[in-house]
Amino acid sequence: MTRYAIRRGLTVVPVLIGVSLLVFSFIHLIPGDPALTMLGERATPEKVTAVRARLGLDRPLWAQYALYVGKVLRGDLGVSIVRGDPVATDLWRRFPATVELAGAALLLAIAVGVPAGMMCAVRRNSLLDSLARVGALTGVSMPIFWLGLVLAWIFGVQLGLLPTGFRLDSETTFRPVTNFLILDALLQREWAVLGDALRHLILPAVALATIPLAVITRMTRASLLEELTRDYIRTAQAKGLSQLAVITRHGLRNALLPVLTVIGLQTGRLLAGAILTETIFSWPGIGLWVYESIESRDYAIVQGATLFIAVIVVTVNLVTDLLYAVADPRIQY
Amino acid sequence: MRLGRLACFVVLALQLAVAPAAAQTFVFGAQGEPVQLDPAIITDGISSRITRQIYDGLVKYKGATTEVEPALAQSWEVSPDAKVWTFTLRRNVTFHDGTPLDARAVVWNFERWWKSSHPQHDNQVKAGQTFEYWEGQFGGFDDKSIVTKIEATGSHAVRLTLKDPQAPFLANLAMFVFDIASPAAVEKWGTEFGKHPVGTGAYKFVEWKPNQEVVLEANPDYWGVKPRIKRVVVRNIKDNSQRLGALKAGEIHGMEGLNPDDVAVVKRDPGLHVLLRPTNTTGYIAFNYKVKEFQDKRVRQAFAHAINRQAIVDALYGGTGLAATQFQPPPLWGYNKDLKGYEHSPAKAQELLKQAGLATGLSTITWDDGKKEPLVFWYMSRSRPYFPSPKEIGEAMAVDLAKVGIKAQLQTAEWAVYLDKRKNGQMPLYMLGWTGDNGDPDNFLCYFFCAPGVSREGFYANQPLADVLLRAQKLTSQAERAKLYRQAEQLLHDDAGRLFIANNQPPLAFARRVKGYVPHPTGSEYFNTVELQ
Repeated sequence: MTRYAIRRGLTVVPVLIGVSLLVFSFIHLIPGDPALTMLGERATPEKVTAVRARLGLDRPLWAQYALYVGKVLRGDLGVSIVRGDPVATDLWRRFPATVELAGAALLLAIAVGVPAGMMCAVRRNSLLDSLARVGALTGVSMPIFWLGLVLAWIFGVQLGLLPTGFRLDSETTFRPVTNFLILDALLQREWAVLGDALRHLILPAVALATIPLAVITRMTRASLLEELTRDYIRTAQAKGLSQLAVITRHGLRNALLPVLTVIGLQTGRLLAGAILTETIFSWPGIGLWVYESIESRDYAIVQGATLFIAVIVVTVNLVTDLLYAVADPRIQY
Repeated sequence: MRLGRLACFVVLALQLAVAPAAAQTFVFGAQGEPVQLDPAIITDGISSRITRQIYDGLVKYKGATTEVEPALAQSWEVSPDAKVWTFTLRRNVTFHDGTPLDARAVVWNFERWWKSSHPQHDNQVKAGQTFEYWEGQFGGFDDKSIVTKIEATGSHAVRLTLKDPQAPFLANLAMFVFDIASPAAVEKWGTEFGKHPVGTGAYKFVEWKPNQEVVLEANPDYWGVKPRIKRVVVRNIKDNSQRLGALKAGEIHGMEGLNPDDVAVVKRDPGLHVLLRPTNTTGYIAFNYKVKEFQDKRVRQAFAHAINRQAIVDALYGGTGLAATQFQPPPLWGYNKDLKGYEHSPAKAQELLKQAGLATGLSTITWDDGKKEPLVFWYMSRSRPYFPSPKEIGEAMAVDLAKVGIKAQLQTAEWAVYLDKRKNGQMPLYMLGWTGDNGDPDNFLCYFFCAPGVSREGFYANQPLADVLLRAQKLTSQAERAKLYRQAEQLLHDDAGRLFIANNQPPLAFARRVKGYVPHPTGSEYFNTVELQ
């Protein structure tokens, strides 16, 4: 196991080098001059030259890359071109919002997806099963930007039940410490703020949860169906165990292994920052930040955030792989 | 049991949060996040909307016009040669940090903008920031600048000496970039001052939550119209539809960046109303003069007669557009009222094409090196105030052109590429526009036509036009200058040097109970007159 962990850990290194190369080259492959975009209609050749020099874009590519990697290894992701703030500091300031949203979406997806998958498996080909399967398919295929707008329009604009965006109401004055608002509100016993934060979390979390929910439902159903045909299930039933006990204590336990893998993969995806959801709901996390930075060609932020996202995804995948081995002792490496 | 308690607790917390506090807050929905809040450094409208509330300049624009009126300077005198300006400052004004606004503070600000050796200029430049507007409006830094001397001639008197008379001098000073900052605060925060702004304005800075909002509170000691609302929140809502949703849901009270199609939606909503910003923006089609066909004035005039500007404005501007007759928009004092623009007449267009030897129409162009290629008409990939739906407007114009036999292929490119191609003079025919900075005609016309033959203007060269504009730049009498700008517009029109399509009045949407918001052509709008009824 230890040998496997080390071997698996080492595979991360070339992946990250590849990612850093890709991230670095993408910026240079995108058509258009970042200096010109920054200056817009008012650009004069002198100003463009000056901005290019300031950004280091006039140096050879290899020199730019070497400089970039050196800084990244020291934890320096550069400085925002537009605002001049350190990218790493801004990243940590925005990450809690993304974690909070991703966490809520994942909890929702698991809390609904696993029981729904179980129900579908147990009542295979019933009306409930068909409805859940259609629902899951819809969930996977529905564009989030559309769903987000519809949810905001119905529950925010028409019914006035929930806010259409942001993490807190504009009238709420609250100074978070960690930027994890729910945690901060709990620690400071600010119940009104906690309620406000939860209300703001509902719509974006529902929008973001649709895909993982659908995937988890389908995976739980498929996996449990397979387990329910096995001999040990028949034995358990023959022993006279109740159907509930057979499914929860025997079938589900084994069926959940592939579901765990799927949850791991979805976690990485959600933590990577849901650009569409965060943009539609003005959620101040990494996704919205990256979107705005792409628009303003703040390539320092785009590079830093992409690299960070890649590290998150690679790490979550690594942890999932290792956990898989822990969860199923039959797996030998 | 535990779960039950938790559920009760969550429901209670949600209920507590449902009822918002009484509205003492004006929430404005902006299209993005400010870059920073040091007015001397910024160039964008999103940042300046906030800095205008925090700072004042020596002078300001009056109401919804671009006329200049006193602000921190309560009066001024100018020498007969228009080179020496003496400003008398308002007394008993303090910055939000308690330091006094006096002649020393004003001189300090000017020296910071002007002198590259000033420690608070130098450190900004080293941090990658530039005093771009100072450079643009006052000729550059140090010896290059049109300013040669600034001195405090009393505790509340400042004298500025210029190298040459500068016609738009006061209009320039009224721009947001020349608002006065607290020297003590700039020295305290250095390059971080843009996150800790301190001015003399109607609102004080409270907090900036990145990617979310900027919070301001009323300055009870304000020298001008006292703010009527205690707290202002400017929220960053990127998506236009989402911003409108927030307005309809009552989460914000006002917004900019309304989609043209949504103007009618807002007008129909009894809880909302629309205000139009007086137009200060013109969208145009530019010709590339390296294309042989476009060197013939008759061909350019044929284009002008072919395009139905009024129909485009009626169909695609949501009721906020005006058919342009010239480069300057109507509110500018150099606007030529006698110019009516080219009438829409496909017959005249065809006749002119015939006279130019293009009786069969135009679908292939010839570059001046002899290379022939299909005529490509470039439209912008990004919406701008002057062309809110560039693709649809481009398509409508292409259809009009096709009706007279001009068959152009529509093409676009990502915004940076588009600007790059324009800079290098690579597009034969393209859409672009301009939004004015200071309400002075010079800011529209001279930027484009004072230097004939440059690539970014499609190599257009009109020396008589440039001469008129340069002459107007040296005069101080507005009446004399106005005459020259009217003449310049006539020259440009007669030559059909560029086709001016539309002026837009960018729409702003507000909750019905918002009163007192005065839209300004430059976007310099003050929140101290706003009330929530």
